[in-house]
Amino acid sequence: MVLSLILSFQVVICRNEAEKCLIETSINSLRISLKVKQADELENILTKKFLRFLSMRAEAFQVLRRKPVQVCPFFGYDISFLITNYHCEEMQKHKLIDFIVQFMEDIDKEISELKLSMNTRGRLVATEFLKQFI
Amino acid sequence: MACFERASPALKQILLQLYHSDKPSAVEHHLHEFGSLQYHIQSYVSEARHVYLSISTPILSTGSSTLHGFPRYTIETVKGICHEVVQIVEPAKTGYQLTLKLDFSKIPRKKDAVKVITEISSVQAVILSSQLRELLTNVNAEEISQGAYKPIKLVYHPNEPFYVVKQPAKLTAVFPIRFKEDSDIVIAKAFFQELVDVGNSGVCARAPPCYWSPIPPPELRGESMKDLSTNAGFVSFEISARHIEGKKLDKTVWSLLNFNALVKYHVKCTKGFVQRRMRSRLESLVEALQQTGIEEDHNTAKVKGHRGMKKLIKVTKGAMKMKRWNLTKKIRRIRSRLRIHGFKRFQRCWLKLPSFSTVMSYQKIEKS
Repeated sequence: MVLSLILSFQVVICRNEAEKCLIETSINSLRISLKVKQADELENILTKKFLRFLSMRAEAFQVLRRKPVQVCPFFGYDISFLITNYHCEEMQKHKLIDFIVQFMEDIDKEISELKLSMNTRGRLVATEFLKQFI
Repeated sequence: MACFERASPALKQILLQLYHSDKPSAVEHHLHEFGSLQYHIQSYVSEARHVYLSISTPILSTGSSTLHGFPRYTIETVKGICHEVVQIVEPAKTGYQLTLKLDFSKIPRKKDAVKVITEISSVQAVILSSQLRELLTNVNAEEISQGAYKPIKLVYHPNEPFYVVKQPAKLTAVFPIRFKEDSDIVIAKAFFQELVDVGNSGVCARAPPCYWSPIPPPELRGESMKDLSTNAGFVSFEISARHIEGKKLDKTVWSLLNFNALVKYHVKCTKGFVQRRMRSRLESLVEALQQTGIEEDHNTAKVKGHRGMKKLIKVTKGAMKMKRWNLTKKIRRIRSRLRIHGFKRFQRCWLKLPSFSTVMSYQKIEKS
Protein backbone atom coordinates (compact mmCIF):
# COMPACT_ATOMS: atom_id res chain seq x y z
CA MET A 1 0.00 0.00 0.00
CA VAL A 2 2.90 2.30 0.80
CA LEU A 3 4.41 1.32 -2.53
CA SER A 4 1.22 2.25 -4.37
CA LEU A 5 1.16 5.63 -2.59
CA ILE A 6 4.73 6.28 -3.66
CA LEU A 7 4.18 5.13 -7.21
CA SER A 8 0.93 7.00 -8.00
CA PHE A 9 -0.13 10.41 -6.86
CA GLN A 10 -3.18 12.40 -7.95
CA VAL A 11 -4.07 16.02 -7.53
CA VAL A 12 -7.21 17.81 -8.80
CA ILE A 13 -7.10 21.56 -9.24
CA CYS A 14 -10.54 23.16 -9.62
CA ARG A 15 -11.23 26.73 -10.61
CA ASN A 16 -14.95 26.01 -10.28
CA GLU A 17 -17.38 23.14 -10.87
CA ALA A 18 -16.97 23.37 -14.62
CA GLU A 19 -13.18 23.81 -14.90
CA LYS A 20 -10.83 21.18 -13.50
CA CYS A 21 -7.34 19.88 -13.98
CA LEU A 22 -6.35 16.36 -12.92
CA ILE A 23 -2.65 15.54 -12.58
CA GLU A 24 -1.71 11.88 -12.11
CA THR A 25 1.90 10.89 -11.59
CA SER A 26 3.71 7.60 -11.88
CA ILE A 27 7.35 6.49 -11.87
CA ASN A 28 8.22 7.48 -15.42
CA SER A 29 5.25 9.48 -16.66
CA LEU A 30 2.70 12.11 -15.90
CA ARG A 31 -0.88 12.44 -17.09
CA ILE A 32 -2.62 15.83 -17.18
CA SER A 33 -6.34 15.94 -17.91
CA LEU A 34 -8.33 19.12 -18.46
CA LYS A 35 -12.02 19.89 -18.20
CA VAL A 36 -12.79 23.03 -20.23
CA LYS A 37 -15.46 25.55 -19.33
CA GLN A 38 -18.65 25.24 -21.45
CA ALA A 39 -21.21 27.91 -20.67
CA ASP A 40 -23.92 26.98 -23.17
CA GLU A 41 -24.85 24.50 -25.91
CA LEU A 42 -22.88 26.33 -28.57
CA GLU A 43 -19.67 26.35 -26.50
CA ASN A 44 -20.33 22.71 -25.71
CA ILE A 45 -20.37 21.61 -29.35
CA LEU A 46 -17.48 23.90 -30.29
CA THR A 47 -15.34 22.49 -27.48
CA LYS A 48 -16.22 18.91 -28.38
CA LYS A 49 -15.49 19.46 -32.06
CA PHE A 50 -12.23 21.30 -31.48
CA LEU A 51 -10.77 18.95 -28.89
CA ARG A 52 -11.81 15.91 -30.89
CA PHE A 53 -10.11 17.47 -33.91
CA LEU A 54 -6.90 17.86 -31.93
CA SER A 55 -7.10 14.41 -30.34
CA MET A 56 -7.47 12.71 -33.72
CA ARG A 57 -4.18 14.37 -34.72
CA ALA A 58 -2.42 13.46 -31.46
CA GLU A 59 0.67 12.14 -33.27
CA ALA A 60 1.48 15.71 -34.33
CA PHE A 61 1.57 16.73 -30.65
CA GLN A 62 3.43 13.69 -29.27
CA VAL A 63 2.37 14.47 -25.68
CA LEU A 64 -1.36 14.42 -26.43
CA ARG A 65 -3.57 11.39 -25.80
CA ARG A 66 -6.07 10.25 -28.43
CA LYS A 67 -8.76 9.71 -25.82
CA PRO A 68 -9.32 11.87 -22.78
CA VAL A 69 -9.55 10.31 -19.36
CA GLN A 70 -13.01 9.08 -18.35
CA VAL A 71 -13.45 8.97 -14.60
CA CYS A 72 -16.84 7.28 -14.79
CA PRO A 73 -19.55 6.75 -17.45
CA PHE A 74 -21.17 10.05 -16.43
CA PHE A 75 -18.14 12.24 -15.99
CA GLY A 76 -14.92 12.62 -17.90
CA TYR A 77 -12.34 15.15 -18.93
CA ASP A 78 -12.17 16.91 -22.29
CA ILE A 79 -8.50 16.41 -23.15
CA SER A 80 -5.51 14.56 -21.70
CA PHE A 81 -1.75 14.81 -22.02
CA LEU A 82 0.67 11.97 -21.33
CA ILE A 83 4.24 13.08 -20.67
CA THR A 84 6.80 10.31 -20.34
CA ASN A 85 10.48 10.30 -19.44
CA TYR A 86 11.33 10.07 -23.15
CA HIS A 87 9.53 13.34 -23.77
CA CYS A 88 11.47 14.94 -20.94
CA GLU A 89 14.74 13.81 -22.52
CA GLU A 90 13.83 15.08 -25.98
CA MET A 91 12.22 18.33 -24.89
CA GLN A 92 13.10 21.01 -22.41
CA LYS A 93 10.96 20.61 -19.29
CA HIS A 94 10.34 24.24 -18.61
CA LYS A 95 9.28 24.80 -22.23
CA LEU A 96 6.99 21.78 -22.05
CA ILE A 97 5.26 23.23 -19.01
CA ASP A 98 4.94 26.57 -20.80
CA PHE A 99 3.42 24.79 -23.77
CA ILE A 100 0.75 23.09 -21.68
CA VAL A 101 -0.17 26.32 -19.90
CA GLN A 102 -0.25 28.15 -23.23
CA PHE A 103 -2.39 25.33 -24.68
CA MET A 104 -4.96 25.75 -21.92
CA GLU A 105 -5.15 29.49 -22.49
CA ASP A 106 -5.36 29.05 -26.27
CA ILE A 107 -8.24 26.59 -26.00
CA ASP A 108 -10.36 29.01 -24.00
CA LYS A 109 -9.45 31.89 -26.29
CA GLU A 110 -10.16 29.88 -29.44
CA ILE A 111 -13.58 28.69 -28.24
CA SER A 112 -14.58 32.25 -27.34
CA GLU A 113 -13.38 33.59 -30.68
CA LEU A 114 -15.18 30.84 -32.60
CA LYS A 115 -18.44 31.57 -30.78
CA LEU A 116 -18.11 35.28 -31.45
CA SER A 117 -17.31 34.69 -35.13
CA MET A 118 -20.28 32.38 -35.55
CA ASN A 119 -22.66 34.90 -34.00
CA THR A 120 -21.23 37.69 -36.17
CA ARG A 121 -21.66 35.60 -39.33
CA GLY A 122 -25.22 34.70 -38.31
CA ARG A 123 -26.05 38.37 -37.76
CA LEU A 124 -24.68 39.36 -41.17
CA VAL A 125 -26.64 36.62 -42.94
CA ALA A 126 -29.82 37.52 -41.05
CA THR A 127 -29.43 41.21 -41.96
CA GLU A 128 -28.96 40.44 -45.63
CA PHE A 129 -31.95 38.09 -45.62
CA LEU A 130 -34.30 40.56 -43.99
CA LYS A 131 -33.18 43.35 -46.32
CA GLN A 132 -34.80 41.39 -49.16
CA PHE A 133 -38.19 42.28 -47.72
CA ILE A 134 -37.52 45.99 -47.48
CA MET B 1 -34.13 25.33 -55.43
CA ALA B 2 -31.00 25.76 -53.40
CA CYS B 3 -29.85 28.19 -56.07
CA PHE B 4 -30.64 31.56 -54.55
CA GLU B 5 -30.31 33.38 -57.83
CA ARG B 6 -33.50 33.42 -59.80
CA ALA B 7 -31.73 32.70 -63.09
CA SER B 8 -30.11 29.29 -63.46
CA PRO B 9 -26.39 30.00 -64.13
CA ALA B 10 -25.85 26.87 -66.26
CA LEU B 11 -28.93 27.48 -68.39
CA LYS B 12 -27.98 31.13 -68.90
CA GLN B 13 -24.47 30.18 -70.02
CA ILE B 14 -25.74 27.64 -72.56
CA LEU B 15 -28.35 30.01 -73.99
CA LEU B 16 -25.78 32.80 -74.31
CA GLN B 17 -23.40 30.44 -76.13
CA LEU B 18 -26.16 29.44 -78.54
CA TYR B 19 -27.13 33.07 -79.06
CA HIS B 20 -23.54 34.13 -79.85
CA SER B 21 -22.75 31.21 -82.16
CA ASP B 22 -22.61 32.26 -85.82
CA LYS B 23 -23.21 28.90 -87.49
CA PRO B 24 -26.38 26.91 -86.88
CA SER B 25 -25.58 23.59 -85.21
CA ALA B 26 -27.41 20.62 -83.73
CA VAL B 27 -27.02 20.86 -79.97
CA GLU B 28 -28.63 18.94 -77.12
CA HIS B 29 -28.08 19.52 -73.41
CA HIS B 30 -29.60 17.86 -70.34
CA LEU B 31 -29.27 19.80 -67.10
CA HIS B 32 -30.11 18.48 -63.66
CA GLU B 33 -30.23 20.91 -60.78
CA PHE B 34 -30.79 20.56 -57.07
CA GLY B 35 -34.44 20.13 -56.17
CA SER B 36 -35.35 17.56 -58.86
CA LEU B 37 -35.21 20.23 -61.53
CA GLN B 38 -34.43 19.24 -65.12
CA TYR B 39 -33.82 21.25 -68.26
CA HIS B 40 -33.55 20.00 -71.83
CA ILE B 41 -32.10 22.38 -74.43
CA GLN B 42 -32.14 21.45 -78.10
CA SER B 43 -31.40 23.23 -81.32
CA TYR B 44 -31.51 21.95 -84.95
CA VAL B 45 -29.47 22.84 -88.00
CA SER B 46 -32.64 23.24 -90.06
CA GLU B 47 -34.05 25.78 -87.61
CA ALA B 48 -31.43 28.45 -87.24
CA ARG B 49 -31.95 30.89 -84.32
CA HIS B 50 -34.60 28.67 -82.73
CA VAL B 51 -33.97 26.81 -79.49
CA TYR B 52 -36.35 24.46 -77.69
CA LEU B 53 -36.24 24.58 -73.89
CA SER B 54 -38.12 21.93 -71.86
CA ILE B 55 -38.56 22.12 -68.10
CA SER B 56 -39.48 19.58 -65.45
CA THR B 57 -39.88 20.94 -61.93
CA PRO B 58 -41.62 19.76 -58.77
CA ILE B 59 -44.83 21.66 -58.31
CA LEU B 60 -45.52 23.49 -55.09
CA SER B 61 -48.41 21.48 -53.73
CA THR B 62 -50.80 22.09 -50.90
CA GLY B 63 -51.11 19.46 -48.24
CA SER B 64 -54.53 18.31 -49.30
CA SER B 65 -54.12 18.13 -53.03
CA THR B 66 -51.30 17.66 -55.45
CA LEU B 67 -51.55 19.69 -58.61
CA HIS B 68 -51.01 17.81 -61.83
CA GLY B 69 -49.44 19.96 -64.48
CA PHE B 70 -49.13 23.71 -64.34
CA PRO B 71 -52.26 25.68 -63.49
CA ARG B 72 -53.59 28.30 -65.88
CA TYR B 73 -52.25 31.32 -63.98
CA THR B 74 -48.73 29.82 -64.12
CA ILE B 75 -48.97 29.38 -67.89
CA GLU B 76 -50.18 32.97 -68.20
CA THR B 77 -47.24 34.19 -66.10
CA VAL B 78 -44.74 32.24 -68.23
CA LYS B 79 -46.25 33.72 -71.39
CA GLY B 80 -45.49 37.12 -69.93
CA ILE B 81 -41.72 36.42 -70.02
CA CYS B 82 -40.61 38.18 -73.20
CA HIS B 83 -43.69 37.24 -75.17
CA GLU B 84 -42.02 38.12 -78.48
CA VAL B 85 -39.15 35.70 -77.93
CA VAL B 86 -40.83 32.92 -75.96
CA GLN B 87 -43.61 30.71 -77.30
CA ILE B 88 -45.17 27.78 -75.48
CA VAL B 89 -45.14 24.53 -77.46
CA GLU B 90 -47.99 22.11 -76.93
CA PRO B 91 -47.84 19.31 -76.17
CA ALA B 92 -44.71 19.49 -74.04
CA LYS B 93 -41.80 17.13 -74.69
CA THR B 94 -42.23 13.67 -73.17
CA GLY B 95 -41.05 13.61 -69.58
CA TYR B 96 -41.26 17.38 -69.17
CA GLN B 97 -44.07 19.66 -68.03
CA LEU B 98 -43.39 22.64 -70.26
CA THR B 99 -41.63 23.20 -73.58
CA LEU B 100 -40.74 26.68 -74.81
CA LYS B 101 -39.63 27.72 -78.28
CA LEU B 102 -37.11 30.56 -78.13
CA ASP B 103 -36.69 32.78 -81.19
CA PHE B 104 -33.28 34.45 -80.89
CA SER B 105 -33.84 36.54 -84.00
CA LYS B 106 -36.48 38.53 -82.12
CA ILE B 107 -34.05 39.61 -79.38
CA PRO B 108 -33.52 43.36 -80.10
CA ARG B 109 -29.87 44.26 -79.47
CA LYS B 110 -26.73 42.59 -78.17
CA LYS B 111 -26.81 44.68 -75.01
CA ASP B 112 -30.37 43.66 -74.24
CA ALA B 113 -29.68 40.03 -75.17
CA VAL B 114 -28.08 39.29 -71.80
CA LYS B 115 -31.04 40.81 -69.98
CA VAL B 116 -33.57 38.85 -72.04
CA ILE B 117 -31.67 35.57 -71.70
CA THR B 118 -31.37 36.13 -67.93
CA GLU B 119 -35.14 36.54 -67.77
CA ILE B 120 -35.64 33.34 -69.76
CA SER B 121 -33.18 31.47 -67.49
CA SER B 122 -35.28 32.40 -64.46
CA VAL B 123 -38.35 30.58 -65.81
CA GLN B 124 -38.28 28.05 -62.97
CA ALA B 125 -38.32 30.80 -60.37
CA VAL B 126 -41.24 32.39 -62.22
CA ILE B 127 -43.17 29.10 -62.19
CA LEU B 128 -42.67 28.51 -58.46
CA SER B 129 -43.26 32.11 -57.48
CA SER B 130 -46.48 32.29 -59.47
CA GLN B 131 -47.88 29.32 -57.60
CA LEU B 132 -47.11 30.75 -54.16
CA ARG B 133 -48.21 34.22 -55.26
CA GLU B 134 -51.54 32.88 -56.39
CA LEU B 135 -51.98 31.06 -53.10
CA LEU B 136 -51.20 34.19 -51.14
CA THR B 137 -53.47 36.52 -53.05
CA ASN B 138 -56.50 34.26 -53.53
CA VAL B 139 -58.02 32.68 -50.50
CA ASN B 140 -60.69 30.10 -51.19
CA ALA B 141 -63.87 29.98 -49.17
CA GLU B 142 -63.02 26.44 -48.01
CA GLU B 143 -60.05 27.76 -46.15
CA ILE B 144 -62.11 29.96 -43.90
CA SER B 145 -63.63 28.16 -41.00
CA GLN B 146 -65.39 29.80 -38.08
CA GLY B 147 -64.15 33.23 -39.04
CA ALA B 148 -60.51 32.18 -38.98
CA TYR B 149 -58.33 31.25 -41.89
CA LYS B 150 -57.04 27.71 -41.89
CA PRO B 151 -53.30 27.31 -42.30
CA ILE B 152 -52.30 26.35 -45.83
CA LYS B 153 -49.63 23.70 -45.94
CA LEU B 154 -47.18 24.05 -48.82
CA VAL B 155 -44.92 21.16 -49.75
CA TYR B 156 -42.00 21.63 -52.05
CA HIS B 157 -39.56 19.11 -50.68
CA PRO B 158 -41.22 16.05 -49.09
CA ASN B 159 -39.65 16.65 -45.66
CA GLU B 160 -39.79 20.45 -45.67
CA PRO B 161 -43.38 21.65 -45.56
CA PHE B 162 -44.16 25.16 -44.44
CA TYR B 163 -47.41 26.86 -43.53
CA VAL B 164 -49.02 30.09 -44.60
CA VAL B 165 -51.74 31.48 -42.36
CA LYS B 166 -53.68 34.33 -43.94
CA GLN B 167 -55.29 36.78 -41.54
CA PRO B 168 -57.13 40.03 -42.21
CA ALA B 169 -54.27 42.40 -41.39
CA LYS B 170 -51.28 40.17 -42.00
CA LEU B 171 -49.98 36.92 -43.34
CA THR B 172 -47.90 34.55 -41.21
CA ALA B 173 -45.45 32.11 -42.75
CA VAL B 174 -44.39 29.37 -40.32
CA PHE B 175 -41.40 27.13 -40.99
CA PRO B 176 -40.94 23.96 -38.94
CA ILE B 177 -37.21 23.27 -38.90
CA ARG B 178 -35.59 19.85 -38.65
CA PHE B 179 -31.98 18.71 -38.73
CA LYS B 180 -30.36 15.31 -38.53
CA GLU B 181 -27.31 16.21 -36.43
CA ASP B 182 -27.27 17.76 -32.97
CA SER B 183 -24.50 20.20 -33.87
CA ASP B 184 -26.59 21.50 -36.79
CA ILE B 185 -29.50 22.13 -34.43
CA VAL B 186 -27.34 24.21 -32.09
CA ILE B 187 -25.85 26.27 -34.94
CA ALA B 188 -29.31 26.84 -36.43
CA LYS B 189 -30.74 27.94 -33.07
CA ALA B 190 -27.91 30.46 -32.68
CA PHE B 191 -28.73 31.76 -36.17
CA PHE B 192 -32.44 32.07 -35.38
CA GLN B 193 -31.59 34.03 -32.23
CA GLU B 194 -29.60 36.48 -34.34
CA LEU B 195 -32.45 36.63 -36.88
CA VAL B 196 -34.95 37.57 -34.18
CA ASP B 197 -32.55 40.16 -32.69
CA VAL B 198 -31.85 41.80 -36.06
CA GLY B 199 -35.57 41.80 -36.92
CA ASN B 200 -36.36 43.62 -33.69
CA SER B 201 -33.52 46.10 -34.06
CA GLY B 202 -33.73 49.47 -35.83
CA VAL B 203 -31.62 48.29 -38.78
CA CYS B 204 -34.43 46.20 -40.28
CA ALA B 205 -37.40 47.96 -38.73
CA ARG B 206 -39.39 47.73 -41.97
CA ALA B 207 -38.69 44.02 -42.39
CA PRO B 208 -41.35 41.51 -41.32
CA PRO B 209 -41.21 40.69 -37.57
CA CYS B 210 -39.58 37.34 -37.02
CA TYR B 211 -40.16 34.94 -34.10
CA TRP B 212 -38.73 31.64 -33.03
CA SER B 213 -40.31 29.19 -30.63
CA PRO B 214 -39.46 25.62 -29.65
CA ILE B 215 -43.14 24.65 -29.66
CA PRO B 216 -45.72 25.01 -32.48
CA PRO B 217 -47.33 28.48 -32.60
CA PRO B 218 -51.06 28.78 -31.82
CA GLU B 219 -51.92 29.25 -35.52
CA LEU B 220 -50.97 25.64 -36.21
CA ARG B 221 -53.22 24.05 -33.64
CA GLY B 222 -55.02 21.11 -35.15
CA GLU B 223 -52.34 20.18 -37.65
CA SER B 224 -50.95 16.66 -37.74
CA MET B 225 -48.35 15.70 -35.13
CA LYS B 226 -46.06 14.28 -37.77
CA ASP B 227 -45.67 17.68 -39.41
CA LEU B 228 -45.33 19.52 -36.12
CA SER B 229 -42.64 17.33 -34.58
CA THR B 230 -39.38 19.18 -35.04
CA ASN B 231 -36.03 19.40 -33.28
CA ALA B 232 -35.04 22.97 -34.12
CA GLY B 233 -38.28 24.79 -33.40
CA PHE B 234 -40.54 26.98 -35.54
CA VAL B 235 -39.63 30.22 -37.29
CA SER B 236 -42.47 32.63 -38.12
CA PHE B 237 -42.56 35.72 -40.31
CA GLU B 238 -45.43 38.19 -40.11
CA ILE B 239 -45.84 39.66 -43.54
CA SER B 240 -47.99 42.73 -43.92
CA ALA B 241 -49.50 44.37 -46.99
CA ARG B 242 -46.47 46.62 -47.59
CA HIS B 243 -44.24 43.55 -48.10
CA ILE B 244 -46.35 42.10 -50.92
CA GLU B 245 -47.37 45.19 -52.86
CA GLY B 246 -46.02 45.83 -56.31
CA LYS B 247 -42.54 44.57 -57.11
CA LYS B 248 -41.89 43.55 -53.50
CA LEU B 249 -44.26 40.60 -53.89
CA ASP B 250 -41.76 38.71 -56.07
CA LYS B 251 -38.89 39.31 -53.66
CA THR B 252 -40.98 38.31 -50.64
CA VAL B 253 -42.22 35.15 -52.33
CA TRP B 254 -38.71 34.17 -53.45
CA SER B 255 -37.27 34.78 -49.98
CA LEU B 256 -39.96 32.64 -48.35
CA LEU B 257 -39.47 29.81 -50.84
CA ASN B 258 -35.71 29.83 -50.21
CA PHE B 259 -35.73 30.18 -46.43
CA ASN B 260 -35.16 26.49 -45.64
CA ALA B 261 -32.39 26.25 -48.20
CA LEU B 262 -30.79 29.41 -46.77
CA VAL B 263 -30.74 28.01 -43.24
CA LYS B 264 -29.20 24.72 -44.37
CA TYR B 265 -26.61 26.52 -46.48
CA HIS B 266 -25.68 28.82 -43.59
CA VAL B 267 -25.21 25.84 -41.23
CA LYS B 268 -23.02 24.08 -43.80
CA CYS B 269 -20.88 27.18 -44.38
CA THR B 270 -20.51 27.72 -40.64
CA LYS B 271 -19.24 24.18 -40.16
CA GLY B 272 -16.73 24.72 -42.95
CA PHE B 273 -15.58 27.96 -41.32
CA VAL B 274 -15.12 26.23 -37.95
CA GLN B 275 -13.08 23.48 -39.62
CA ARG B 276 -10.77 26.02 -41.29
CA ARG B 277 -10.20 27.86 -38.01
CA MET B 278 -9.39 24.61 -36.23
CA ARG B 279 -6.82 23.66 -38.87
CA SER B 280 -5.01 26.98 -38.62
CA ARG B 281 -5.02 26.78 -34.80
CA LEU B 282 -3.63 23.23 -34.98
CA GLU B 283 -0.69 24.45 -37.08
CA SER B 284 0.14 27.21 -34.63
CA LEU B 285 -0.02 24.83 -31.64
CA VAL B 286 2.23 22.26 -33.31
CA GLU B 287 4.74 25.00 -34.11
CA ALA B 288 4.77 26.04 -30.46
CA LEU B 289 5.43 22.44 -29.40
CA GLN B 290 8.32 22.03 -31.83
CA GLN B 291 10.11 24.90 -30.13
CA THR B 292 10.35 22.87 -26.90
CA GLY B 293 13.02 20.57 -28.40
CA ILE B 294 16.47 20.46 -26.75
CA GLU B 295 18.97 22.69 -28.60
CA GLU B 296 22.68 23.54 -27.98
CA ASP B 297 23.06 26.68 -25.97
CA HIS B 298 25.34 29.00 -27.96
CA ASN B 299 26.86 30.67 -24.85
CA THR B 300 28.33 27.46 -23.48
CA ALA B 301 29.50 25.97 -26.82
CA LYS B 302 32.90 27.67 -26.62
CA VAL B 303 33.91 26.24 -23.25
CA LYS B 304 33.15 22.53 -23.57
CA GLY B 305 34.57 21.39 -20.23
CA HIS B 306 34.56 17.85 -18.91
CA ARG B 307 31.43 16.71 -20.67
CA GLY B 308 32.61 18.16 -23.96
CA MET B 309 35.90 16.35 -23.61
CA LYS B 310 34.09 13.09 -22.88
CA LYS B 311 32.10 13.48 -26.10
CA LEU B 312 35.22 14.23 -28.07
CA ILE B 313 37.04 11.21 -26.70
CA LYS B 314 34.03 8.99 -27.40
CA VAL B 315 33.99 10.16 -31.00
CA THR B 316 37.74 9.78 -31.42
CA LYS B 317 37.80 6.31 -29.86
CA GLY B 318 34.92 5.19 -32.05
CA ALA B 319 36.56 6.47 -35.19
CA MET B 320 39.82 4.77 -34.30
CA LYS B 321 38.11 1.46 -33.69
CA MET B 322 36.39 1.71 -37.06
CA LYS B 323 39.66 2.46 -38.81
CA ARG B 324 41.34 -0.45 -37.11
CA TRP B 325 38.56 -2.83 -38.09
CA ASN B 326 38.65 -1.69 -41.71
CA LEU B 327 42.39 -2.18 -41.86
CA THR B 328 42.13 -5.64 -40.28
CA LYS B 329 39.54 -6.64 -42.87
CA LYS B 330 41.78 -5.42 -45.65
CA ILE B 331 44.72 -7.35 -44.31
CA ARG B 332 42.69 -10.53 -44.00
CA ARG B 333 41.67 -10.17 -47.61
CA ILE B 334 45.27 -9.73 -48.61
CA ARG B 335 46.29 -12.73 -46.52
CA SER B 336 43.68 -14.98 -48.07
CA ARG B 337 44.97 -14.22 -51.60
CA LEU B 338 48.67 -14.80 -51.06
CA ARG B 339 50.93 -16.10 -48.36
CA ILE B 340 54.23 -14.42 -47.68
CA HIS B 341 56.74 -16.14 -45.51
CA GLY B 342 57.46 -14.02 -42.40
CA PHE B 343 54.58 -11.70 -43.00
CA LYS B 344 52.90 -12.67 -39.73
CA ARG B 345 55.76 -11.37 -37.70
CA PHE B 346 55.89 -8.22 -39.79
CA GLN B 347 52.20 -7.73 -39.24
CA ARG B 348 52.44 -8.20 -35.49
CA CYS B 349 55.23 -5.64 -35.19
CA TRP B 350 54.33 -2.97 -37.67
CA LEU B 351 50.64 -3.22 -38.64
CA LYS B 352 49.15 -3.40 -35.16
CA LEU B 353 47.64 -0.06 -34.11
CA PRO B 354 48.62 1.32 -30.71
CA SER B 355 45.83 1.53 -28.14
CA PHE B 356 45.30 4.88 -26.48
CA SER B 357 44.88 5.10 -22.80
CA THR B 358 41.67 6.84 -21.69
CA VAL B 359 41.74 10.26 -20.19
CA MET B 360 39.08 9.21 -17.69
CA SER B 361 41.24 6.68 -15.91
CA TYR B 362 44.85 7.13 -14.92
CA GLN B 363 47.46 5.29 -13.01
CA LYS B 364 48.76 7.01 -10.00
CA ILE B 365 52.52 6.91 -9.92
CA GLU B 366 53.57 6.07 -6.44
CA LYS B 367 56.38 8.02 -4.96
CA SER B 368 59.25 5.78 -4.40
